[in-house]
Amino acid sequence: MVRVAPLDGKAASHPSVRALRERFSEGARRVESDALGYPVVWIDPRINGEALRFLREAPDQAYDLLADLMGAHAGIGAPIQVWYQLWSMAHGRQLRIACEVPMHDLELDSVTDLWLAADWLEREVWDMYGVSFRGHPDLRRILMPENYEEGFPLRKDFPLRGRFSRSAQVSRALSRDLIDIYAVDELEMAGYAVTDDGGVRAPPERAAEGGAPGGIRDVSPDEQPEDALEGEPILINMGPQHPATHGVLRLVLQLDGERVVRCSPHIGYLHTGFEKTCEFREWNQCVPYTDRMDYLAPMLYNIGYAGAVEALLDVEITERCRVVRVILGELNRILGHLLWLGTTAIDIGAFSVFLYTFQERERIYNLHEAYTGGRITTSVTRVGGMMADLPVGWTAAARDFAATFPETLDEVERLLSRNAIWQGRTMDIGVLSADRAVSYGVTGPTLRASGVAYDVRKARPYLGYEEYDFDVPVGTAGDVYDRYLVRVEEMRQSVRIIEQALERLPGGPINIDDYRIVLPPKGEAMGSIDTMISHFKLVMEGVRVPAGETWYSIESSKGELGFGIVSDGGTKPVRCRFRGPSFINIASLPELVRGELVADVVAINASLDVVLGEIDR
Amino acid sequence: MKPLDTLPTGAHPGEGRLDTGIPHNWMTTKLDYVINWARRNSLWPMPFGTACCAIEMMASAASKYDIGRFGMERMSFSPRQADLMIVAGRVTYKLAPVLRRVWDQMPQPKWCVSMGACASSGGMFDNYTIVQGIDTIVPVDVYVPGCPPRPEGLIYGLLMIQEKIKGESLADPRARDEAPEAVGRPNLPPETIELVAQPFGNSTNQNRMSGLGPTSALARSRDRRERRLEHRD
Repeated sequence: MVRVAPLDGKAASHPSVRALRERFSEGARRVESDALGYPVVWIDPRINGEALRFLREAPDQAYDLLADLMGAHAGIGAPIQVWYQLWSMAHGRQLRIACEVPMHDLELDSVTDLWLAADWLEREVWDMYGVSFRGHPDLRRILMPENYEEGFPLRKDFPLRGRFSRSAQVSRALSRDLIDIYAVDELEMAGYAVTDDGGVRAPPERAAEGGAPGGIRDVSPDEQPEDALEGEPILINMGPQHPATHGVLRLVLQLDGERVVRCSPHIGYLHTGFEKTCEFREWNQCVPYTDRMDYLAPMLYNIGYAGAVEALLDVEITERCRVVRVILGELNRILGHLLWLGTTAIDIGAFSVFLYTFQERERIYNLHEAYTGGRITTSVTRVGGMMADLPVGWTAAARDFAATFPETLDEVERLLSRNAIWQGRTMDIGVLSADRAVSYGVTGPTLRASGVAYDVRKARPYLGYEEYDFDVPVGTAGDVYDRYLVRVEEMRQSVRIIEQALERLPGGPINIDDYRIVLPPKGEAMGSIDTMISHFKLVMEGVRVPAGETWYSIESSKGELGFGIVSDGGTKPVRCRFRGPSFINIASLPELVRGELVADVVAINASLDVVLGEIDR
Repeated sequence: MKPLDTLPTGAHPGEGRLDTGIPHNWMTTKLDYVINWARRNSLWPMPFGTACCAIEMMASAASKYDIGRFGMERMSFSPRQADLMIVAGRVTYKLAPVLRRVWDQMPQPKWCVSMGACASSGGMFDNYTIVQGIDTIVPVDVYVPGCPPRPEGLIYGLLMIQEKIKGESLADPRARDEAPEAVGRPNLPPETIELVAQPFGNSTNQNRMSGLGPTSALARSRDRRERRLEHRD
């Protein structure tokens, strides 16, 4: 299933490939090329830790960003593949390290000490494929419930609808003991004793109440209430149903008074099984799934997914389609940032901003609706083009939006930027340093606020972004206020891009003219037998994508949005991995909130701009 | 006397005099009527928003659609002070106990709106992690179709809840009793859950065995026939 491309000159001369071959002659034999052209080195699973340490630490390699760590399974009985997608900021190089882990020995070395991002990513591979990582500090399930009994969902021998019947799934879910939703060390913190066989014993004074973990003891009459709290850790459970977590995120906070000592995020409450479900859908049928992952900026997902499949198909979309995708993508970047701005302002206490930003969002929704018929779930792209050409008058409406939107932005800035309360709540709060941010794999505005000018649109331009004149705003302090400033400035830059794109929007067809990939116009399908056959095959079977694999990424409103896609030449993906930037970004939350006040947890969490649909997938 | 619905619109305490023909602002009406009138015009929704639908729910509360017009702008984020749960978005099995707990924490009288295809039936996610309709977990009063429903759709659903409240009676013992024995339990018996959670129409190329063997539309029709036979027994 993996395309064994003849080693092209580009991949063989890649300095990292040469160095890897010199150092691990036996362990790194197979070198292939990704559909996008960068090299893929298949290494022996026994040396993965060593090889990745070399790539991370050798000065002439310096792969400092672990963009993705994902699993893939080709079929029942096949080994589990684990991909490490690396990017070197210093050298501007991309590389994929992949290994095949045999089913009888599902173990790899953990790389959590090299990249902090690996912590959650390895937990996800464990959760979905059952590959364990030697040396991982806290290897437990992350998306599925901790005591999930049905197996590892993304393996090919796992049925789409789960192993248990629906009624068993419902009753098991509801009979889950509340204690099970806490991690062992959280329970121990609250005085629970955890026995070796996994049983949990409540602390004596709480056992009678049968309550959930807490930490406050009763105050005896001869001491002040403050004394009683001195040194006593308090455990607070925030979420998953909480108005300020921007979705069903759950945080367990250990507090010392008002200060956060430790925070552990629990995710997976919205795990929708997109990746598994897409393996059962045709390539074009996956498009509606993509926009339900990031419902704040849906078209960016549509565009990224279509781009990834087109990379595998090796087709060049038309110039008009490229420009239309840029316009829609930037409109959606504004849409996502506007929602972020409105809800963050509510969280921090400025309600009226929400009304301003939603007013503008409604205008973008009107543009969505005029084009696609939907407000949020747009499903606008198809492999090889778009669902339709722009309707008459759409560009004029978009131009009108681009001309008037900055006024509202100015108004919002007048409400916030110099506002003493806003500044007090955001400045010097949740500071993330540049090197920690890179190690966490944080991307997007959050990374740029920390002073790293990494933007996929500039680093690896797609859709012709190199032809547009726009700036990448970069912050200096890396605090919540800088993240706010960066996002506001990004909206202005998006307006600039939209104006330029509207200016250059060429005529011509919006879809490619290959009827093996896009549907022929209805008139033609009825006119000739060739096109009718193509139409029939596309409707009944779907697009066939040649066997191969790619990891393609774009810049979404939240960060680097990656698509790891494997095809076996059929009409459905073998693996459809979505690297949601929010998933990686939120992993840095525990570090950001340490030592801050509880009220600031809300501001910091909001400043990361997460969307739970993308975190949990 | 005039029924309450035909009160002059400007009437409010202190100045408004009800034209009842009885001195000292006395009026008589049915207890049911006045209680339902109060209940339906000041619903406090508990937004249980999880995904895309929650964004449309926010849009319903924002400037353009403004559900405050119907007395529902007071979103209650505590289940203890809420009487209408709006479940907006997909609910996973991991979230199911949370949903049930929030519902159990709400005091009677309470109603539930299932907003969107995922909450109502699992929608396009017929897979291992999504609850196939929240009515397997909690009782639902109004289902709002759509993926996601437009704000107008949600508002219409909420007006239907108001209509439903209009028809309730305190004398009806089924309606508003607390049921401690149902706390934390599924809303439907296992057989019914199996029945409502079967694959249906648009689950193309998917059946109960999906993922274990080759599946096709043909296999699906055979699957259906088997099921029909099962039901006959």
